[in-house]
Parts: sequence; structure tokens; C-alpha cells
Amino acid sequence: MSESTQTRDDAQHGDEQTTTPATSDPSAYEDASAGTTAGETDEQLREEWTQYAFEGEPKLSVEDLDVFYGDDHAIQSVSMDIPRNSVTALIGPSGCGKSTFLRSLNRMNDRIKSARVEGSVELDGQEIYQDGVDLVELRKRVGMVFQAPNPFPKSIRDNVSYGPRKHGEIRTGLVPRLLGRDDSGAEDDLVERSLRQAALYDEVKDRLDDNALGLSGGQQQRLCIARCLAVDPEVILMDEPASALDPIATSKIEDLIEDLAEDYTVVVVTHNMQQAARISDQTAVFLTGGELVEYDDTDKIFENPESQRVEDYITGKFG
Amino acid sequence: MSLGTSVDSAETLVGETSTTREYASGGLVVLSFLAFAVGLLGLFQYLPVDTSVAGLPVATLLGGSLTLVGAGTVALGVGSYTGALDSEPSHTGGLVSAGFLGLIWFVVGGLVGAQTLGLSTAWPVVALLTGLAGTGVALLAREDLGVTVSAGSFVLLSGVVVLSGLVGPGWSWDPESFSIVLTGLVGVPVIALFAGLVGAWTAARVYGGFGAQGRQTGAYVLVGTNAAGMLALLAAVVGFIVVRGFAPMTEGIRYGLFWGPVTWFNPPLLDSWVIVEGPIVWFYWPFVMEGYGLNTPIDGILPAIVGTVWLVVGAVAFAVPLGVGAAVFLTEYAEQGRFTFLVEISTNGLWSTPSIVYGLFGLAFLVPRLGNTPSLLSGQLVLGFMLLPLVVITSRESLKSVPDEYRDASAALGVSRWETIKSVVLPAAMPGVVTGVILGVGRIAGETAPILLVTTSSPFPSEVTNVIQGGFRFTGSFPFVAVPTVDLVQTSSALPYQLFAVIGAGLGENLDFAWGTALVLLLVVLCLYAVGIASRLYFRRKLNA
Repeated sequence: MSESTQTRDDAQHGDEQTTTPATSDPSAYEDASAGTTAGETDEQLREEWTQYAFEGEPKLSVEDLDVFYGDDHAIQSVSMDIPRNSVTALIGPSGCGKSTFLRSLNRMNDRIKSARVEGSVELDGQEIYQDGVDLVELRKRVGMVFQAPNPFPKSIRDNVSYGPRKHGEIRTGLVPRLLGRDDSGAEDDLVERSLRQAALYDEVKDRLDDNALGLSGGQQQRLCIARCLAVDPEVILMDEPASALDPIATSKIEDLIEDLAEDYTVVVVTHNMQQAARISDQTAVFLTGGELVEYDDTDKIFENPESQRVEDYITGKFG
Repeated sequence: MSLGTSVDSAETLVGETSTTREYASGGLVVLSFLAFAVGLLGLFQYLPVDTSVAGLPVATLLGGSLTLVGAGTVALGVGSYTGALDSEPSHTGGLVSAGFLGLIWFVVGGLVGAQTLGLSTAWPVVALLTGLAGTGVALLAREDLGVTVSAGSFVLLSGVVVLSGLVGPGWSWDPESFSIVLTGLVGVPVIALFAGLVGAWTAARVYGGFGAQGRQTGAYVLVGTNAAGMLALLAAVVGFIVVRGFAPMTEGIRYGLFWGPVTWFNPPLLDSWVIVEGPIVWFYWPFVMEGYGLNTPIDGILPAIVGTVWLVVGAVAFAVPLGVGAAVFLTEYAEQGRFTFLVEISTNGLWSTPSIVYGLFGLAFLVPRLGNTPSLLSGQLVLGFMLLPLVVITSRESLKSVPDEYRDASAALGVSRWETIKSVVLPAAMPGVVTGVILGVGRIAGETAPILLVTTSSPFPSEVTNVIQGGFRFTGSFPFVAVPTVDLVQTSSALPYQLFAVIGAGLGENLDFAWGTALVLLLVVLCLYAVGIASRLYFRRKLNA
């Protein structure tokens, strides 16, 4: 099953998400399309700024990744290694390509017709941009949580068990029941375990059969995380998972991300620099034009960045 | 009053409970609405204008109320202008209102010029002059004076014309170069409808105290009266059929409850029958339980009902899977480009193709190939062809309106596209698809022309077309079961076709049978709608519960 022959026209939708972000300051965006964000100084990138040394094999290894939307060069030759069982934050101003970068880690960009990806991404040493990659298997191993909570209009239970059910790992319903292969017990266990991992179980345990759209925004987002955890991924990509939520829901999601990092490799895109500083182990800063400017320990990035532009960005001079 | 405007907004946030202006204009709104309602009743002959109510002819009452409304609104406007009444008028009545009033006065001027003054070619001059005057007054004078004078004097004029009998019940108008004769029985209600609407709108503006609040109240009353009028029109059409069709439809109904044998059986080893008795409800409704023939007490239309139901069931079974499948392919798989554009254009074109064209196609293409006889199957296919484009169009629209987030979320969980469509996209689109099918069924159930060409032979069959012959039963020889045979290649009647045939048969004034048939057709379509709406509710509840 290859989606490289993807034909559905969701180019517009994808473009909206990645190349025309909502900036609070319209002039900043106009300048960004011209080259640099207002207030951003010119400087030469240095290779060593993005060299981040850590112990052990990287979980994800990105080499010279370029992404184009039509003629638009969204990501420029980005290379970075992401360590396992940690939280990696991607920060940067709007339109700098961090969401695009995230989506190329599980080939969600394949769903955008106009998108073209060059370069290499390796998951545990295996190239994911080569012929014959099983996208179903890839996305089972590299799950994703989106910016806006997007539960299906189904019950909470069905939302969580959706992935395993579609992958044939859980069989319920009339035919399996008649054949004596009903997995309802396993389903209940899975739903409870996933919801507990997402710190949602206690809030919804009495209404698992209610429609998920009746939950609050924060609960919906945790449900989406539970739905992602239910397929037992190794990497979880999160695209601004708390940007649509209030402070209390945000802090719950942040706690959750830190807990998840014990068992999973988490890559999280965020607009919020305090959030990146709080939850991440290492931080990659993308700046205008889709370049990775600096990638290092979070403490290093926030306390003593090498790049002047990164320092300007972190101290709020632009972006 | 809930609509209470702040009369003196500079000093009080909450307006006084009500004022003279509100009492007076509120009464005028009610009076105008009554005139509108009586006009509607008069138009449909439920309350003809030449009858008397409380000793006064309806026409006089209408004329009187309109005169009162017209004079009243003008008086209120003048009162507001002179400062006797509290209000907050704008400096102008507004371009749209003025244009609308100008149009009314243009028509009034044209009619007066051409008919009353008898001007042969100069009437446009009069029309233009009155139109300009109507617009000018509303536009140039301050709102409270301009709108009330321009609109109120129109209502006043209408009232006076009716009250004086200039256009009364006995009036008739035979416009040159038109071959119709307009009588007072139609003319007076039409004037009442129109002037009532204008009067209600103007009085509502006064009620709101002019200005923004006045426009809001005026629009609210105008839209509300309009909606009430539409509903009344609908009810009048249905009522028209029900009133005429109910007696023929229910003729000869008999029912009863008696004690009798419910079931009986012969237990093994026992040489006698056991008979269980119980209450039995007996119901006989000849009009819908009999065919058309000499041996029935009352001619019935059962064969046509059965034929219509078979036609609709067959067409839906043929068109819905095909249409939804095509929509899924076009929306989820096909590249959006010239091809889908072309398909979209052609489905739209097919949906607006006249049904007789489909019928001719069926007659020339399907009938020779399907038994060379008009048949139910040909009718089902032709109606299915007609239904197909609508199912494609509505299904596409509802599939497109399913948020892309669902598809993204599903893809990010590693679920294949077909599984996503099956378990997320289609369920979310289902209410829209069902709505499309409901609309389409309403059209094909009433379709006469194709049925006439491809399905029917005799318009008044006495026997029901026996589609399912022989039941499911066990037999003594291999394979020990017999399944019913389904024979769709037979002629059948259908309700709309039968209706057409009755009317065309020259039964003269006695159309009772036709009205009864029409009412049954209406009920059958309503039952199909009920099934559709129930299934839509079911799917919607599954999404939102």
C-alpha cells in the first residue's frame, strides 16, 4: 500500500497548515515571505551549531532533508539525530517549517499532493524514504498527535480501540463472537491502559460509551494521545498539542509528555518557548526559510545559544 | 414588551415598559397581519370575500382595516416627526426600503395610468412619476416621515380602493392583450395580501421606534409574515387535496372485533384438531385493499400502490449503491481536475434532464432488451437512472464536508485509506447521503412520464402484479427447499400514472377517484419520507450522541 500515488486534493489544506500560519503580526509574515522575519539579523549558519552529541544510537536520524511545496522550498537541507526515550522540542517562528519537518518523520507529507521530499530519514537505521516502505507499519511505529484535537465522532471506547481494531489486533462484533474469538476483554484492557497512560481514565471511566465530541478540548486532546498510544508506537510526534488549550489543560498535557518520554521517543513542535524549556531534553531551533539553526541541550539553547539569531528569537526580539 | 426599545437611551439603559407609540403600532401590526391572513384564506376560497362576517362583507372589513392601518401609520409617522411621540429616526429611510417603495408606486402608477386613466402609451410616464415620488419621499425625508408617508399612503390607497368598492367582490378586470379575467374574488385578496405585508412591515418599523431597532423589528415582522405565508400556502395545497380526497379514499371502510379461531393444529397421536380461539380484529378498506374491477364493491388502487412501492424500492436499490460508490471514487480517489469537473457537469446536467427523455431512452433501449414488453424492471431502471445523478451530487457534497482532520487522524494511526473511508468518512457523511436519497425518492415516486412509456399497459388493473411468486417452503425432493421466484418483467400500474389516466379518461366533473388517488399518493410519499427521516436521525444520533 503506497500513498506515493496520493491523488486526493488536500494540497490546499496542507499548505495552509504549513506555509501560511496565522501570525498575530501581519507585517511579520509579509517580511517572512520576502526572506527574513522582521527584526531578524543576517548571519552565516555554522555546521557545529547543529551537531548534538549524545550517547547511544539515535532513534531517528535525518540527513540532508529538503521539502518542497511546488516551487516553495519549505525545509532546507536539515540534518539532525533524535535520541530515543527523550523529548525533543522543535521551536521557531511561524512558517519556519517545523510542522513540515515533523510531518516528514512519518511521511504524512505524502498526503499532500504538491509536497516533494528529498533526503533521508532513518528510523532505527532503516530508511523510511525508499521503495517498499509499508506506510501502515511506519505510522504504527511513528504515531502523531495534531494541533487541534480531532477525535472521531464515535464513542470514547471506539476512538481508543480504533487503530488496533483496524489493524486486526482486536476483533469484536458478531462474527468473532460466533466464532468464539471475541476480544472484548482485551479491548477493555487496552482502552483502560491507554486512557490511564494519557491521564484521562479517571475522568471518563463511567462514560466510555459516550460520544467523544462531548469531551472538553483538553480531554479530547488527551483522548487523541490515548488513541495514538493504543497502537503502541515507538515514536510520538506532536504538532503543537497544547496550542488550542487553556493553561490547566496545557499543564496536564505537559506532565503527560514528560511521563511518556520514559517509554517513548517524543518529538514535539511548539510555539511556546517556556513550554519547550519546561518539557524538553533537547531543543532544535528552526528559523525563517526552513533552516535548522541550532540544535543542542535545552538548557544550552535557552541559556547560552551560539547563534545570535537564536538568542534574539529566544529573548523575543522577533518571531 | 420584550422588544422594548430604550426610548431615551441617553438617560436610561432599560426602556420604559411601553409607550403610546408601541401600543398603537403594535395594534396596527396585528391588524395588518389579520388582513394578510384573511387575504390568504380568501384567495383559497376558504373565506371568499363576498361572504359576510358579523353582518359585514369580508371585502368591506378588509378595506376598512387597510384604511385604518394606512391612516394610522401615516399619523404615527407625522406624530413622531413633530415630536409628539418618542422615537429615534435616522435621517433617511434607507436606499433599499426606498427602492422597494418606489417599485410599489411604479406598479400602482402604471395600473392607474393604463387602466383608470386609459392612457394607451403614456402610462410609463405616470408610472415613472409615481415611482420617483415614492422613492423620493422615502429617501429624502427624515425616516419617520418618509417611510410612513410613502408606505402608509400605499396601504391607505389600497384600503380606500377596496372599501369604496372600486375593486370589490363584483369587480372584474379583463386586461387587454391578456386572455385572463381577474375577478374581485381574486383581486381583493391579492390586494389584501400585499398591502397587509407592507402595512405590517411599516407598522413594525414604527413599533421599533425607527432607526436600527426599527429596521430590525420591521425585518423580523416581514420575514416572519413571509414564513407564515409560505407555511399557510403549503398547508392550503395539502388541505385542498385532503378535503377533496378524504371521502373517496375512506369510502366503505369497515372494521370489527369478534371472537373466532386464531389458530388450529393437529397434535401427533391424537385424532382430533385443537382450535385456539381469540379476539380477531377485522379491517376492510376497499380503496387501498382492492383492485379496479366489476367484482369489487368499490374500485380500489391497490395494484397501483404496490407498483409504486416496487418501482421506488427497485430504483433506490439500483441507484444508491452505484451513486454512493461513484461519489466515494470521485471524492476520495480520483484526481481533482478536468475529469471530475466533467463528471460534475454531466451529473448536474443529467439531474435536470426532463423525465420524458429518460422514458424515451427506456422505451427505445431497455424495453426491447428486457422481455420486449413494458415491465416493472424497465421502470425501476429508468427511475434509477434518474435518481443516480442526485445521489452522486449530494453524496459528493456530504463526503467533501467531512473534515480532513478525520482522514489525517486515521492515516496517522496507520489505517489504510479504504478502512478510513469505511469506518470514519462514510458514517460521518451518511446523514447527508440519506437526505439526498429522500429528495430523490420524492421526485421519482411522483414521476408519470417514464412509467407511462416503459412500465404500464392497463391503467386500471384489477390484480396486483405478483412479483414474488411462491413462498419459501420445504419440499419432499432435492434440494428440499423451494425459494420464491421474483418476476420483475411484468407490467404494472403506478399511482401517478393512474392519476393521470383517471384525469385523462374524461370522467367529467366527477374526479373523486382522482382526488382519492392523489391523497393516497401523497400518503405513500410521506411514508417514504418518514422512513428516510428516521434513518437520517439514526445516523445523526450515532455521530452526535
